[in-house]
Amino acid sequence: MVERYTLSRKLFIVFNYTILALLSVICLLPLVHVLAVSFSSSGAAAAGYVKLWPVEFTLDSYKYVLGKEQFFLSIGMTLKRVSVGLIVNMVLTVLVAYPLSKEVQKFRGRTVYAWVFVFTMLFNGGLIPLYMTVRYTGILDTVWALVLPSAVPIFNMILLLNFFRGLPKEVEEAAFMDGAGHWTSLWKIYVPLSTPALATITLFTMVFHWNSWFDGLIFMNSPSNYPLQSYLQTIVIQQNFSSASLESIAVLQKISDRTFKSAQIFLGSLPILLVYPFLQKFFMKGIVLGSVKG
Amino acid sequence: MINQKTEPKGMNTASASSLGASRKSSSQLPLHLMILPALILILIYSYGPMLGAIIAFQDFNPALGIFRSKWSGLENFRYVMALPGTMQVIWNTLIIAVIKIVAGLIVPIIVALLLNEVRKEMFKRTVQTMVYLPHFLSWIILGGVLIDILSPTQGIVNQFLNWLGIDSIYFLGSNDWFRPVLVMSDVWKEFGFNTIVYLAALTSINPALYEAAVIDGASRWKQTINVTLPGMAPIIVLTATLALGQVLNAGFDQVFNLYSPQVYETGDIIDTFVYRIGMVDAQYGVATAVGLFKSVVSLILLSVSYFLAYRFANYRIF
Amino acid sequence: MKKRSSLIATSVLLVTSLLVGACSNNNEPASNKGNSGTANATQATENQTPEQLQLGKYDPPIELTTVRILSPSVKFVGDETIDNNVWYDEYASKLGIKLTNEWTVVGDETGGKGEQKLNVSISSGALPDIVPLNATQLRQLAEAGKLADLTEIYEKYASPITKGVLTSSGPEALESATFGGKLLAIPAPTSKIDQAQMIWIRTDWMEKLGLEAPKTMDDVYKIMDAFVNEDPDGNGKNDTYGMALNKDIYSFFGGVEGFFNGYHAYGRQDGKGNWVQKDDGTIEFGSIQPEVKTALGKLQELYKKGYIDPEFGVKDWNKEKELIVAGKIGLWFGTMPAPLILQDLKNNDPNADIQPFALVSVDNEPAKAQIPGINLKSPQYLAVSSKSSNPEALMKMINLFMEASYGTSYTQEQIDQLSTNPVDGVERWMYSIYSAEPEKNLNTHRVVKQVINGELDPSVVTSEQMGAYRSVKKAVDGEAMETIDWALNGVFGVENSSFSIVDYYDQNGLLLPSTFSQVMTDTMTKRDATLLKLELETFTKIIIGESLDSFDTFVENWKKLGGDEMTKEVNELMSGK
Repeated sequence: MVERYTLSRKLFIVFNYTILALLSVICLLPLVHVLAVSFSSSGAAAAGYVKLWPVEFTLDSYKYVLGKEQFFLSIGMTLKRVSVGLIVNMVLTVLVAYPLSKEVQKFRGRTVYAWVFVFTMLFNGGLIPLYMTVRYTGILDTVWALVLPSAVPIFNMILLLNFFRGLPKEVEEAAFMDGAGHWTSLWKIYVPLSTPALATITLFTMVFHWNSWFDGLIFMNSPSNYPLQSYLQTIVIQQNFSSASLESIAVLQKISDRTFKSAQIFLGSLPILLVYPFLQKFFMKGIVLGSVKG
Repeated sequence: MINQKTEPKGMNTASASSLGASRKSSSQLPLHLMILPALILILIYSYGPMLGAIIAFQDFNPALGIFRSKWSGLENFRYVMALPGTMQVIWNTLIIAVIKIVAGLIVPIIVALLLNEVRKEMFKRTVQTMVYLPHFLSWIILGGVLIDILSPTQGIVNQFLNWLGIDSIYFLGSNDWFRPVLVMSDVWKEFGFNTIVYLAALTSINPALYEAAVIDGASRWKQTINVTLPGMAPIIVLTATLALGQVLNAGFDQVFNLYSPQVYETGDIIDTFVYRIGMVDAQYGVATAVGLFKSVVSLILLSVSYFLAYRFANYRIF
Repeated sequence: MKKRSSLIATSVLLVTSLLVGACSNNNEPASNKGNSGTANATQATENQTPEQLQLGKYDPPIELTTVRILSPSVKFVGDETIDNNVWYDEYASKLGIKLTNEWTVVGDETGGKGEQKLNVSISSGALPDIVPLNATQLRQLAEAGKLADLTEIYEKYASPITKGVLTSSGPEALESATFGGKLLAIPAPTSKIDQAQMIWIRTDWMEKLGLEAPKTMDDVYKIMDAFVNEDPDGNGKNDTYGMALNKDIYSFFGGVEGFFNGYHAYGRQDGKGNWVQKDDGTIEFGSIQPEVKTALGKLQELYKKGYIDPEFGVKDWNKEKELIVAGKIGLWFGTMPAPLILQDLKNNDPNADIQPFALVSVDNEPAKAQIPGINLKSPQYLAVSSKSSNPEALMKMINLFMEASYGTSYTQEQIDQLSTNPVDGVERWMYSIYSAEPEKNLNTHRVVKQVINGELDPSVVTSEQMGAYRSVKKAVDGEAMETIDWALNGVFGVENSSFSIVDYYDQNGLLLPSTFSQVMTDTMTKRDATLLKLELETFTKIIIGESLDSFDTFVENWKKLGGDEMTKEVNELMSGK
């Protein structure tokens, strides 16, 4: 496809690149700031001196966070959770999105099912009933408590559902005519053709499991079972000093609240930031329609 | 509808569907089976706990549990409604949430469109990564950052405004500006997320449609209007609808870290309000009642959007 | 079919809910016995001496369960964990009690993860033998009749030291754990006087500008004047403020309590309601008194003159602290830990120095520092499940802690192992399920002072006090000090330290506790959040410039929106004493 580069087109391109670059910078700056604070001395951070570059460079915050063995143990739990969660979520998302993407004629009851799933996105009974359920199903204090309650991510499922709907019907019709059943259609046709959508929800699922921290604290009986973000939450320096003992206040010797939180954020988000660019190439692939005509 | 657009003309689907017709009843079983595992899981882990929403109608005492706490009917609801400031808080929540939804839709769409025009892969990928970054920052840290940036005495925003000849504005302390600050900072933080979704939608638009448009002599702009946007329409409607379903969640973390007594008037939302009630005495009954109220409103909005989209655009959102 | 699918769905739903219902019913057998008495005590108490009751060993050993909510500052070294450490060994070897933790969570702050985890635990019906509670949870469990009655157990089993400690700050701690005449939990009192505020000022600035210690509020304003107009940081610009304040208005650091006290006004303390007794004996809410209005007026004046950070309204204490650390503010009202919090100031500027001054007044009547009517540490209470077979065991474990902390039967070495180790600084007392330390800090100061003055022998310094003692000694001897020494000396030092001020208050009757010492009345639970919001909004607006008439409107609204109810309840409760 040849585009004629008119003047307005060229201007647009310049404008486009500029705007996007500006946008990226605005998004990047605060992270740079957080990074700078994490490497700064507590004094400088506490005085608000740090802008975009570390002041009085030090690794103290990181040493404090990484110095505890618990940190590495908790990464283990997070990896467990992310891998199990990812598989469970992806499989279920695909398995639900496919049938629901069919027309009512081809799958009666789909609308009822759809509403049954969507309803769970809106209503919930709160923490206490969830805890009771988790406890009675015997998964308390296991990785399953972190995976099963959120096993079916409805939002992702709806996204995928819409994607499936957007795929050309002929491919599936052709397959049916050749004697394929739904399972084949799903795994051999729909899934391979949905790479952008699948990549998207893979990313979302990973981020969700990586960042969740509250469930770890509530459903795990011992800090040694905490996933990473839950663990990071617990070593936050106590904020409310009015009734705290002098002992907890004295911990503030070297680690200022700000440098510490910054290191925490950075360490917590680093892995995802590293993974994300790799996933991006999947976003770029479009549908190869050659398979339809063939 | 997107399906109609992607079907090339002239395909004879008659034979295919008649074959399919004879398979209809038996071929539906696999579909039911596919749904089954997920269905069981949500029945246990979503619907089971949902029954616990009954707490909203109880004078809940954790020590007595759900089954033995006293029934209090609509008392919790009455209590919240009667509290001074409830109406104001609901109003704040609605305004803030609606504006956030609208802005949160428009910005990612525009950015996705802009990104789509970029040919250099490297640049595109870099921008995509960068705009997703703010999502990872917590409002605890961002609160402090925003106070600095928006400071009337030293913040760069005000310095910039002064340079333009405008007086300093006390953004975070002003009831006129607090909500705009909330909206803009939230959009900034989360637009990267939706941009990803829209970009993915964009890449799946059939290139044949673009080819057809070019052949018809459409400029890039016309292509955008006639091919790209319609191609994204379903996803846009989808995210808009789902966002509407969240309209009473105006963003607790953000508001909590940015608000102060000075801006309670315009900035206090349902969740921060309930949070402060809970600080005094963990009132699960009240909190659950409020949650139930929010859920019901969300359900209504979601259903209305669903049926409107179906009625007028023949589009089932899910 | 549509119908069939929905039928399937509905029936699965029903079955599941029945299952959930059935399961939970199994775990909550109706216990209409209410709070059980000591009928199940396995040891016949008639034949035992008091010592045996208080600290006697169980033979054969018994097993108990509990749950732990830990502070983030708890540290473990080597093989020790919360499940396996010196204290749990001590319980086993000295008392024959094998203690197991059903779960552990880190986060003991109010409204924190510990509370939430315990709430969900309680509501799912599982109570361990010994359970740590906050006031709300205690009340809920008491109402539900799930706790053992400890009234007699306390009488018989609590050691004299224990009883002494629990009543040392007054009867309110035990009273708050008593419901319908029955003691249902053991409270963990901690210092009330630690909350007294004082005036913190940059003394290096005072010296530079030739200012003297303030004796009246007017003196304080003079100092503020100087700080604002005479360039104390010497950078040629008038960019320093007179006073620090933060958005929460009431705060242990940069709060108004101390300022108000100078006007004989006694508003909330750190957000919690404060009650004052009028001349006619009735009790009224502190924040609605006319003196508060006067004090607010003055704050408004100061704000207008630019003496207060114009952005205080959006900054919490941590954010406002930045200005102090950066050397832009040199005066604030607050409580005793200031030097520890401001180590960064010292790190940034070794010449900086801060010192506390006793609160001063606007007239001839000396200012009194307000303190709360009750203060409990976390966990606030320890209670025993009514289903536990050995409710008196808790008392023994508490006695053991008291014996190790204040008793005579442990050697110094043993104590080092059980409380704060002087060598590695690990605070193992945190592993104990219970700790209470009324006026620990004031005692530390007094002991340190007396040892340095030669009135006491250095051997009396306990391992917990050692850190403070060493730092103060360095200061007194003129040795090189690190920042932490400077800080500890600022808090515990012989003179011009936080606790020298608190001591002064104590010796001269300048402490004013809140007249109300229960924890929460019914209306308070329902209304206080709203009333607090109203108060903060109004006061902030007044300080920033709104007419003082809003104060009167606030008082009216306060009364209508539940204040009158609360006042009535408080007076009723207190008159029953």
